[in-house]
Amino acid sequence: MSKRIFINIVPGKTFLHKLSGKTKVGLFIVCIVYTIMSFDLRLLAPLMFLSLIAIVSLKPDWKVIIVLFIAIFLMNFFNIFLYWVVKPDIGSEWTGGTSTILYSFSSYYFVSLETLWYLLVRLFKMLTSFTVSMAFILSITPSELASGLHGLGVPYKICTVVSLAFRYIPDISRDYENIKVSMQARGVEMDLRKTPILKRLKQTIYILFPLIITSFDRIGNIANALDLRGYGLKKDRTYYAEVEPTLMDKLFRWSTLALFLFCLAWIVSRNIWEPATKMWFPFEV
Amino acid sequence: MKKKSIIELIVGEWNTKTIVAVAIGAALFGVLMVYGGVQVFTNTKLTTAMLIPVIVGALFGPVPALVACGVGNVLADLIGGWGFWFDWSIGNAVLGFFVGLLPVYGARIDEGIFNVKHAVIFAIIAVLANALAFGVITPIFTVLFYGGELTITFMQSLTGGASNVLVLTLLGIPLLFLLAKRYGGSKNLTKE
Repeated sequence: MSKRIFINIVPGKTFLHKLSGKTKVGLFIVCIVYTIMSFDLRLLAPLMFLSLIAIVSLKPDWKVIIVLFIAIFLMNFFNIFLYWVVKPDIGSEWTGGTSTILYSFSSYYFVSLETLWYLLVRLFKMLTSFTVSMAFILSITPSELASGLHGLGVPYKICTVVSLAFRYIPDISRDYENIKVSMQARGVEMDLRKTPILKRLKQTIYILFPLIITSFDRIGNIANALDLRGYGLKKDRTYYAEVEPTLMDKLFRWSTLALFLFCLAWIVSRNIWEPATKMWFPFEV
Repeated sequence: MKKKSIIELIVGEWNTKTIVAVAIGAALFGVLMVYGGVQVFTNTKLTTAMLIPVIVGALFGPVPALVACGVGNVLADLIGGWGFWFDWSIGNAVLGFFVGLLPVYGARIDEGIFNVKHAVIFAIIAVLANALAFGVITPIFTVLFYGGELTITFMQSLTGGASNVLVLTLLGIPLLFLLAKRYGGSKNLTKE
């Protein structure tokens, strides 16, 4: 768990790190809208490609990233498999009603081309959303997140909530490890392979309650530290991470705006005028 | 102590302490949603994250619990890698609001007041709020944001709602008694 959660506290040196917070947050939000709005492989593939390039350009710790990718892929694969178990003909209502059966186990369980296509596009969509999130997490710091959200018009107290929560995630994993180790020192078996599932659930609670209570006990300290620095005295505030937009920032903001207008046009023309349950299907008969 | 009006109880005091509590609640909610659960159905977990709105609600009120759940779910989507499902974030936020109603019906955890009557009301609200949040609100937003897919959404609602009720009653109520004892013990001074 501790290896999986990582965020930047100090801004990095690569091209994407140097963009301002507002640019990154805006682009990220528009990209998420873009991934959600359609089940069209022709739209998703370029974004997947671009976000992979972004991840490579951010020079991450590859060992962690690859393990994470495999875990996320397996989890999503299991999810779409459950979709198939529940509704083997789920694809046909998205692709236009036909169902070309490739292989059938029984009259209810069959593999059709449409379902296969739908589930693969769905998996691709989840993975695209993940790579976009990954690029965002790797490129941003908590202060940039707060200043970016504030630049987009979110009230600053909500910005503080979001950035503080984002910043606190690694601390939780550190606390979790500490509590786990101290439980083991008291003789509680925490090895996943050596304990049956019900006992493991009970032991999760032994970690969980101290974790929740220590976290909530820390509220006083953090709140005092913020108060002592004059937090919340005025109606509004500025951010240290808020910088004048550079030429690159301006370029990215214009492209974000263009992408946003494209999303808006797509949503109005494809999702509102026509029924939304339609997807691009190349093997249509 | 000054008696608070019902609106003050619902909105909560948005001072620095509340903001920090909501932030930490959101972070815990996000992490527990990703790592602190057992998968029961596609994208649905028996998750211990549901304990967070109980605590935030008990100590700070329903609107802070709502914000903690909403932000926490978006963070969980961000680090979880299963895609962004804002319909569920809204459903969880609504659920957080109802679970966090504790101070409104008189359970004052920070003063050590929590008895069997409050526990019963809490359990009833947990069942009703799950039905409302995942049976009505999430499907509405599923249709609005993602179009269709209602069969699977309802199955997710049913399994997710049932596991939430289990966590809220079986773990939430003991936790509330524990917290009430903890806070009540340290504040037994009376004004002369």
